[in-house]
Amino acid sequence: MASPSRPLLDPEVLARLGTLKLRVRSVTEGILSGLHRSPHHGQSVEFAEHKEYAPGDDVRRIDWKAYGKFDKYYVKQFEQETNLRCHLVVDSSGSMGWKGAPGRLTKLEYGAALAASLAWLLVRQADAAGLLLCAGEVVRSIPPRASAGHLQPILEALSAAVPAGPTRLDAAIDWVVEHAPRRSAVVLISDLFDQDQRLLKQLAQLSRRGHEVTIFHLLDPAELTFPFEEPTLFLSMEDGRSVEAVGREVKQGYLGLMAAWLAGVKREAAEADLDYTLCPTDRPLDEVLLPFLARRERHAA
Amino acid sequence: MIGFLDPALLWGLGAAALPLLVHLFFRRRPRPLAFPAFEFVLRARRQTERRLKLRKLLLFLARTLVLAAVALALARPRAERPETSAAAAAGPAATVILLDASGSMSYRLGGETLFERGRREALAALARLGNQEPVAALLCDGATPRAVAPSFDRAAARQLLSEAQPTALHADLTTCLAAAAQGLGEGRGQERLARRIVVVTDLTATAWRLEAPPPELPGPGGKPVRPEVVVVDAARGAALPNLAVTGLTAEPDAAVGPRGYRVTATVLDAGVERAGEVSLTLRAAGDARPAVRAFLDVPPGATVRKTFSHPFTAGGPAVLTAALPADPLTLDDQRSLTLRVPREVKALVVDGAPSPMKLRDEAWFVEAALTSAASPVRPTLIDAEALAGADLHAFDVVLLLNVRSVGSRAADLEAFVHGGGGLFLSMGDQIDPDEVNRELAALLPLPLHLVKTAAAPGAERGAARLARIDEAHPALAVFTGEAREGLVGARFQRYMLTRPAGRGEPPVVLAAFDDGAPALVEARRGKGRVLLYTSTVDRDWTDWPLRTSFLPAMQRFAGWLSGALDDRRDPPTVVGSPRTLHLEPGRRLAALVGPDGKSRTGRDLGVTSAATADGGADLTFTPLQPGAWQVQVEERGGARLDGALAFAAVIDPRESDTRRLDPAALTAWLGGGGSARVDGWPGGGGGGGPGVPLWSILLAVAVALFLAEAALLA
Repeated sequence: MASPSRPLLDPEVLARLGTLKLRVRSVTEGILSGLHRSPHHGQSVEFAEHKEYAPGDDVRRIDWKAYGKFDKYYVKQFEQETNLRCHLVVDSSGSMGWKGAPGRLTKLEYGAALAASLAWLLVRQADAAGLLLCAGEVVRSIPPRASAGHLQPILEALSAAVPAGPTRLDAAIDWVVEHAPRRSAVVLISDLFDQDQRLLKQLAQLSRRGHEVTIFHLLDPAELTFPFEEPTLFLSMEDGRSVEAVGREVKQGYLGLMAAWLAGVKREAAEADLDYTLCPTDRPLDEVLLPFLARRERHAA
Repeated sequence: MIGFLDPALLWGLGAAALPLLVHLFFRRRPRPLAFPAFEFVLRARRQTERRLKLRKLLLFLARTLVLAAVALALARPRAERPETSAAAAAGPAATVILLDASGSMSYRLGGETLFERGRREALAALARLGNQEPVAALLCDGATPRAVAPSFDRAAARQLLSEAQPTALHADLTTCLAAAAQGLGEGRGQERLARRIVVVTDLTATAWRLEAPPPELPGPGGKPVRPEVVVVDAARGAALPNLAVTGLTAEPDAAVGPRGYRVTATVLDAGVERAGEVSLTLRAAGDARPAVRAFLDVPPGATVRKTFSHPFTAGGPAVLTAALPADPLTLDDQRSLTLRVPREVKALVVDGAPSPMKLRDEAWFVEAALTSAASPVRPTLIDAEALAGADLHAFDVVLLLNVRSVGSRAADLEAFVHGGGGLFLSMGDQIDPDEVNRELAALLPLPLHLVKTAAAPGAERGAARLARIDEAHPALAVFTGEAREGLVGARFQRYMLTRPAGRGEPPVVLAAFDDGAPALVEARRGKGRVLLYTSTVDRDWTDWPLRTSFLPAMQRFAGWLSGALDDRRDPPTVVGSPRTLHLEPGRRLAALVGPDGKSRTGRDLGVTSAATADGGADLTFTPLQPGAWQVQVEERGGARLDGALAFAAVIDPRESDTRRLDPAALTAWLGGGGSARVDGWPGGGGGGGPGVPLWSILLAVAVALFLAEAALLA
């Protein structure tokens, strides 16, 4: 749905933007214009060295003890510039390549825009952002880094992502467990059509290990409303199965099953202290990102 | 069992296969669609699969049954009992449509006559027939019904029904129904068809004879079967109250005057509720005002007789009409009667033994009797000598009282009698039997023989009495009961014996003495009559002139001899029955003037003529309108209405009785509900019909199935 006040954040508008870069810029600019101040101030826990103060440095970081000794202003330099390592796990299975209407983004496109925007925002505030593209297995992995030059490979990887294969997110979770020894943020962007019913349990384990897990559950509006009436041959997008059904005849049952499943996912996520957000792909991205960023700010405080 | 009125339409049952055909050949190909939430669709499909299959099956059944029910309904099925009904066979029926055109169908109900309503029903029944159903139309209008085999000439049947007109005749629907059944049986190549008779009638009870055998026709194998009979009530069950004059008679009544009559009208109330007082008027033709008006209270379903006394001012032909106020059936609201009121009888009394003393005068008692106040006779008294110069043709009756000889007038008397005059002969001392026998041989009923003296004059002992009296004779008809005593109480001391009659017409002895000798003998001579009284009309031989019976006896003798006592009541002709009119020589029928005042020629009315021995002609025709008919004759170059030929035509009283027949009795007579039904009668017509129509039920089922299908779709 087009939003008159934030036209560039509307998924339909984004869908008309050809490249992911343009989408990311539209999204982040829209989001930044909506923020009054950045919630991130750059904190580090491990001191590295001093640096002589120069105009423009944060006066709060002046080391007053050093000033007492040397009568000069020194600013503290920390060994680690970022205060967050974020793993952006993007599902690129076959089911993510679907869109319910021609003018709409596919779930993968929507998720890519979401992931890229997050990466940009994180890197901009000196957080490290990494990427995991995952289908039946981890298709592509980019370790988290906080440099601006790190964004380019993330955007390239997201742009090049092709929806294919079954949804097997446990491989991505295993990768995170293996490669993220420190506490980090894990942002899972997926439709959660995982054949493994233990996905949420695995995510809960991640949470228990100290990782901050956020789930962006992407679903096309058509998957939520099932607007089909006529006889249709439904084809599975991840294997060769098919089923013939008259839309209006199975609609009620479908919607019931979908509602029950969503309620179950939400309940399990809440039980495991996972940050869960249902994102219909017609929902403006700022409506998704701003609450997320606000939550992040509260956690950081 | 189930029968169909239009079995050819059963091909429509093929439409019931449409849902199957659509399912097999016109099934929409599903659009392939890759869908991420496939698992949910699959699970939803599995969940609803059983319910959807059942629903689909029900939908398929509902659609199939809707089409089948509509197709069946179009074929007009009906439930029938096999029994012996010819209609039990399913399929088209050979049909005879019988339309009642009797007088009661002229009853006006709701602004139109029952006949018009019935004709519309008959034409509708004709239109409802299928193309494969042969049909014949038959009118039941009082004429002898003719059996007509059904054919496919639908136009002829329609024309007959369209051009039919109601009559004033009585129709016997039982006979008409038998003729219709006979016509059905004569239909060639129709043996395999059902047989149906549609009777459109007002269902009046008098039109049916339920004691007669019901209609039958030869069935397969020669076994008689009953046709299906559908009786359509043109009155739709409505009551048909009707007041009618069903009878009108007139009897001479001397108490009223010389031309007085006692008129009796019979009024019927055929309704079921009391109509209250109704006025009845009696009117004589030519009178501007009603002669009598009376008020009657007729109980429903009963008849009441009302008697009027009406003196006619002049003799001659007359028409009396009794009328009720107009009601829905106007045919019987009035009834006419024609009669010939006797003119004054002119009698020539020839006194054979005149006397200055009245009591001894031969004619005194006779003259006194004939000149009494209520006497229609006007006597002229002469003595025997004056007879020679009397103009006999100026008189109707000549009374020869103790006349010795008529002299030269014997031949004139003979001509007078043969020309229609009356001659009365009484005995006395002046009579010479041989001379009288000689002069009046051709007139005397019996030749005179000699005088018998039974007792001394004035003595009662030994006197003869009248023993055998023909009370049926018009001249003596009044002497019944106590009046007879006045006759048999007379004593006859002397009387003339007679000889046996010669050849020729035998005389009629009206009365005889107790010894068997004739006292009153009558004979016809030519057109006239001769009455021989073998005693005296004075007190010489008998005391009868002193008796009370003498006066009326003499008046009636004079009246009888002049023809005034003849039965002049002209019995009315029932419409539809032939009426014969006798025209004397030299006269010719010019026209007949009907009750509506219109003149019609003999050709218009189909008058047939037959010559008679007297040179005249008997004209016969059939009047179809009730009321008084006048006859216009041509005579000597001029035309005039002859009142003597006027007559009244009356409607059959059965047509006035509009009480309805119980449909249950009718259907029972026709074989029960299995082969007959009465349409248009509230409450189903007394016992059902030849088959219970199922098409309405089927249509209701179709609608219910359609709604069920819609509910399933919803």
